[in-house]
Amino acid sequence: MLRALRRGDDHAWSQEHLSHYVEGDLSWRARRRLELHAEECPDCNRGIRAVRALLRLMHASANRASAAPADIFERVRADAARGGTDVNQAREP
Amino acid sequence: MTRSPTTHRPIEAPERDLVRRAQAGELTAFEQLAGAHTDRLYAVVVRLVGDRTEAEDVVQESLLRAWRGIGRFQGHAMFSTWLYRIAVNECNRALERRLRHGVVLPVDEESIQVPAPADDGPASQAEQEELREGLDTAIAGLDPPYRTALVLRDIEGLSTREAAKIAGVGEAAFKSRLHQARLKVRAALGDAALVAAPI
Repeated sequence: MLRALRRGDDHAWSQEHLSHYVEGDLSWRARRRLELHAEECPDCNRGIRAVRALLRLMHASANRASAAPADIFERVRADAARGGTDVNQAREP
Repeated sequence: MTRSPTTHRPIEAPERDLVRRAQAGELTAFEQLAGAHTDRLYAVVVRLVGDRTEAEDVVQESLLRAWRGIGRFQGHAMFSTWLYRIAVNECNRALERRLRHGVVLPVDEESIQVPAPADDGPASQAEQEELREGLDTAIAGLDPPYRTALVLRDIEGLSTREAAKIAGVGEAAFKSRLHQARLKVRAALGDAALVAAPI
């Protein structure tokens, strides 16, 4: 009974932390907990592969992004022609 | 998958020279400096605002703010980080304006383009297209802070440190947003579809 409860806890916790696992953001103990659970749980095992596939999918989607329009500096040029002033409020990170 | 491993080093001599010249009012130096980042910047903004016309407006405004404020750039961060930060702030303003006016834009179907392998059959390409559209919709449905984290880190491939700086939050808060965003997108697409996808 206790083991079944523990398995249920591990499953919910693992599902929440699959991204942390793939990213390498778990402590050694947490990583081991997830791996031990995933060895016995097909859903979490598949979840790890799903997170990795999602990362590949998103990474691939960056490769064919469109270029910026050719006239993207239009406002800057117009401002420079007017002798633009220093009114920017952006803080340096 | 980090695309800019050199992000954390101090500003380098050629860039420093361009900054100095731009700060002296030399427009061509500013265009050279910012022009190295405009394609990626535009791609990020398209994903954040979900509309190409609005994205062009946001990038133009961001470049204008950067040009006007270049005198205040001190080189503590990379120029690209500073520029992206301005653009993300500008995206947030645009999204707030849209919210105030109750404008709902359709998802730009071309904003996320996943290249299909050349030897994929029609069925595989159809699945790929379905997944691409699902990803597009799922990302567009995220709240802006989560979308920003996902786009900067997972699509643009920036380092966590740089992406957190651009988003204007600490690394721990950024990571929390990133993991939550992945969880939501993964739930929207489904593990079975992701695992079976010919990526």
